[in-house]
Amino acid sequence: MVDLMLLAPEIIIALTGLIVLMIGIFMGSSSKNVLGYIATAGFLAALAMVIGNFSASALMFSDTLSVDPLSQFFKLVFLVVALIVSVASIKYTEDNTDTEIFYALVLFATFGMMFVASANDLMVLFVAFELASIATYALAGFEKKNPRSVEASMKYLLMGALSAALLLMGISFVYGATGTTSIPGIAQNMEVLTSNAIGLLAIVLLIAGFGFKIALVPFHMWAPDTYQGSPSVVSALLAAGSKKMAFVAAFKVFIVALLAIQADWRMAFAVLSVVTMTYGNVVALSQRSVKRMLAYSSVAQAGYISMAFVVLTPMALTGGILYTLAHGFMKAGAFIATAAVVYMVIKEKRDTEIPDHLDNFKGLGKKMPITALCLTVFVLALAGIPPTAGYMSKFILFSSTIQSGMVWLAVIAILNSALSLYYYARLVRYMYAMPHEGEKVSEPVPYVAALLISLVGVLAIGLWPEPFVEIAMQAASVLVGGM
Amino acid sequence: MIPLNWYLALSAIIFSIGLYGFISQKNGIRILMCVELMLNSANINLVAFSSYNDDMSGQVFALFSIALAAAEAAIGFAIMMSIYRMRDAINLDELNLLRW
Repeated sequence: MVDLMLLAPEIIIALTGLIVLMIGIFMGSSSKNVLGYIATAGFLAALAMVIGNFSASALMFSDTLSVDPLSQFFKLVFLVVALIVSVASIKYTEDNTDTEIFYALVLFATFGMMFVASANDLMVLFVAFELASIATYALAGFEKKNPRSVEASMKYLLMGALSAALLLMGISFVYGATGTTSIPGIAQNMEVLTSNAIGLLAIVLLIAGFGFKIALVPFHMWAPDTYQGSPSVVSALLAAGSKKMAFVAAFKVFIVALLAIQADWRMAFAVLSVVTMTYGNVVALSQRSVKRMLAYSSVAQAGYISMAFVVLTPMALTGGILYTLAHGFMKAGAFIATAAVVYMVIKEKRDTEIPDHLDNFKGLGKKMPITALCLTVFVLALAGIPPTAGYMSKFILFSSTIQSGMVWLAVIAILNSALSLYYYARLVRYMYAMPHEGEKVSEPVPYVAALLISLVGVLAIGLWPEPFVEIAMQAASVLVGGM
Repeated sequence: MIPLNWYLALSAIIFSIGLYGFISQKNGIRILMCVELMLNSANINLVAFSSYNDDMSGQVFALFSIALAAAEAAIGFAIMMSIYRMRDAINLDELNLLRW
């Protein structure tokens, strides 16, 4: 008998999505603000259900879904990010006639991400992956009169469709060689792949397919355009949520299913992770658009998290998994802060082509003190300054890399972190050391609330890391179980 | 019975045509058609493997992926409609507002 209580978070999210969509149609646009509160309540309820069943472990629906510490951890990440986005969107979708579509898409995207986290079968994994992707394609182009938003969505759609095709081709070869789509089943039939060129072909296709979603260099080119052009709240969902979904899918496919041919994919991930972090940081140095800078920094962070695939010790996996949670808080918060700045620029009707230009952050410490303070904490956390979440997760990840003897990789990663400090510190300098123009702006409450949730998360992981490291360790032990 | 390798060769050829078209074409509709080719070549693979492994799940997977391809095409054409309304063309070379 299936214990539906374990699926309660997913059911709550799906029902909330349908409810928001259905009642939104019959509402006048003046009363649609309430939809944001309904969605937020749905996320809070699902979050409570996940935390309540945190140590649950079960297989459901003919072993196609597995609820285990790994899936619960990533559901936590997705729900927290979606909660932050949904709170901030209460302001963003104000006076919009399509509010119900926006929230329904956010809820369905989160639903897909959660199913990827608990997928135990490549079929479920692929379908859920596509559900989340298709919902986010539409979200990226939500401002359909804004040419930048539509262009961002077009680029994201084309690259996403290509990645889906590569992924499906890779899965078809894995299925052909092993005769099953079940992830543990593939792990049992691995000897077929080790002695076969099909295994290598499947790895190339799967790395390319996941690499597009994770935004590993050279599959990253859509990411800066999409993160810059999309509405900031959607960029937060993409960078902090959908990227983590690709990570959990890649963890399951490579570390659980394809562990036997690890020699092949570890080498590939070593090269990709070094190239990704270096390229992301170097290109971020010269960006003037803050969202684009955050996008390149997000590419670089994907490089750090990929180190977990290369080192592949339980400690490194713990670090990588903890990093996904930390990065979720930091990146979602940073994008919401730019959303607040873009709101301010539009409100002041400044004549500017790029509303998130670095010049608009001048003197933000005086104009929008809470936003500026939170953004400062987030960028310092992204650079890895203690006592923040970024420092804690980087410390675990890098020290485990050194322990396993890959000093060269750790040195490259640490040099990259030092490099990244330059462009983060420049943003802080613009906010606090530059004179400001115009009046002090009253900061919208939803943005402030979303920023404070992220701030609490970033500082909690930094100052009180033990419980978070503990749950990340349990999640990692699910992956290591097969080793 | 037709050997399995023939099916794999067919799907590899279709996949390559799709990938080539994806890279070389400028028109959004053509690019989406090329993506469909790539997805369908993977479906040929799945069905062929399913038939030779004597396992139904590959064919079920192919049905799912056809449905997903349709959903993806729907959202793709919706986005192209909004581009067309703004620019009267779906030439992807002209989508160059976002650059470094």
